[in-house]
Amino acid sequence: MGEFIEVKIDLSECTDMSDVDKWVQVCPVNIFKVEDNQPAVIEENEDECTLCMLCVEAFPHDAVTIHKLYENGMI
Amino acid sequence: MRLLECESKEILSKYQIATPSGRAVSFINNLDIKPPVMLKAQIPIGGRGKSGGIFEASTSDGAKAKIEQLLATWVRGYKATKILVEEKLDIDQEFFMAITDDTVAKSPLAIFSSEGGVDIEALAERQPQKVRKELFSMRSKLPQYRAREIISETGISGRLLLGLGNILSRLADVFLDYDATLAEINPLALTRDGRLIALDCHMEIDDDALFRHKELIELAKEGNRFESERSLTEFERKAAEIDQIDHRGVAGRVIEFDGNLGLIIGGGGASLTAFDAVQSHGGKPANYCEIGGNPSVLKVKELTRLILSKPNVQKIAVIMNVVSNTRVDLVARGIVKGILEAGKDPAKTVAAFRIPGAWEEEGFKILSKYGVQYLDRTVSIDDTARIAVDNSGD
Ligand code: SF4
Repeated sequence: MGEFIEVKIDLSECTDMSDVDKWVQVCPVNIFKVEDNQPAVIEENEDECTLCMLCVEAFPHDAVTIHKLYENGMI
Repeated sequence: MRLLECESKEILSKYQIATPSGRAVSFINNLDIKPPVMLKAQIPIGGRGKSGGIFEASTSDGAKAKIEQLLATWVRGYKATKILVEEKLDIDQEFFMAITDDTVAKSPLAIFSSEGGVDIEALAERQPQKVRKELFSMRSKLPQYRAREIISETGISGRLLLGLGNILSRLADVFLDYDATLAEINPLALTRDGRLIALDCHMEIDDDALFRHKELIELAKEGNRFESERSLTEFERKAAEIDQIDHRGVAGRVIEFDGNLGLIIGGGGASLTAFDAVQSHGGKPANYCEIGGNPSVLKVKELTRLILSKPNVQKIAVIMNVVSNTRVDLVARGIVKGILEAGKDPAKTVAAFRIPGAWEEEGFKILSKYGVQYLDRTVSIDDTARIAVDNSGD
């Protein structure tokens, strides 16, 4: 978790991992990586999140959520 | 970053572009010199020949005396720590070739002239037929046949054309592979025994691409490579390293002062305005700096920590003009995080925060959460500086 942003992945929503490389590549600031063929968050980069929401669109269903820790809000 | 001639020539050699045999030396003890030789001060500036930075020596003792002289002499504000000692060649003809960026066409540009060792701009004005310029694509590069077409328009043909085309094509590869903004061979000599040899080479690398060239970053870190009129302080060197962490924006162009108010201020005219305003209100800046172009949170954080690491700096002022290409919230994150990591309270450490512009509402939310007072665009840079100075006393 960053100081300002927390990015969460709900793996139960990611049933088919065949596009996992594409999901993680959309982030412009490298917040995701693939580990054991599953998406994971690179915690040290979380505060770089630009709130662009590209990951939310790329991941299946509602697998990714972005949390603004400075206003207790999820977008 | 401008490379030294000897560094540029090392790169040329990797691309099979011939250079005179020789080596860079820093001392004369046990030096084996085979005259006649050329002695060239390795400094990152042109015009060495006219400023006493290049000599010819016909005896070994004479060469050693000249090397000692060059190592002890300031040439155009620089004192060389290396002297390039090279064989003197018997030259029949000289040419000019360069690859640079055409910033209007947004393409690399190849330039060739059948006259070398000259001021190319002046020659292009005086005798335009002797200078050929041609844009080429970054993707398809400059194949030899295109290079030969450019050169042949100056009237060169036969074996010479083949040789020159080969070199111009390779120079384009050097330019693209090294993210250069300029790769120039001037002069390129045709020796009396028919060899084409790069007598001098000037390469400039795009500072923003240095992170892709680890070996060149190491060169840039050598702060004491030259005793220029004012060498970087340790603080400034660390700031420059922060700026190199990634390619995003600028956060690390810093000049150190001995005051107590740390400044994180926007680049261009606004940073000069802010700096002067702080001084005119009686403040004592600990540094000048420039940030902009949307630097990463990490870079802003590291810069904040660095400024706060100066023992006499307890407060920082963050001042920019209205920004469109830098996000207020990302800068706010970096500032707050840097202060927290320095073990300080953001509310007590920020003497003034004034960055109006893109994503300001989000930035203001972050600052509010940490109790940092912020000023919006209704407060001028001058008033912000006054407030910062007023708040910097406690
Ligand atoms: S919102 Fe954008 S920057 Fe943030 S994690 Fe998703 S893709 Fe990356």
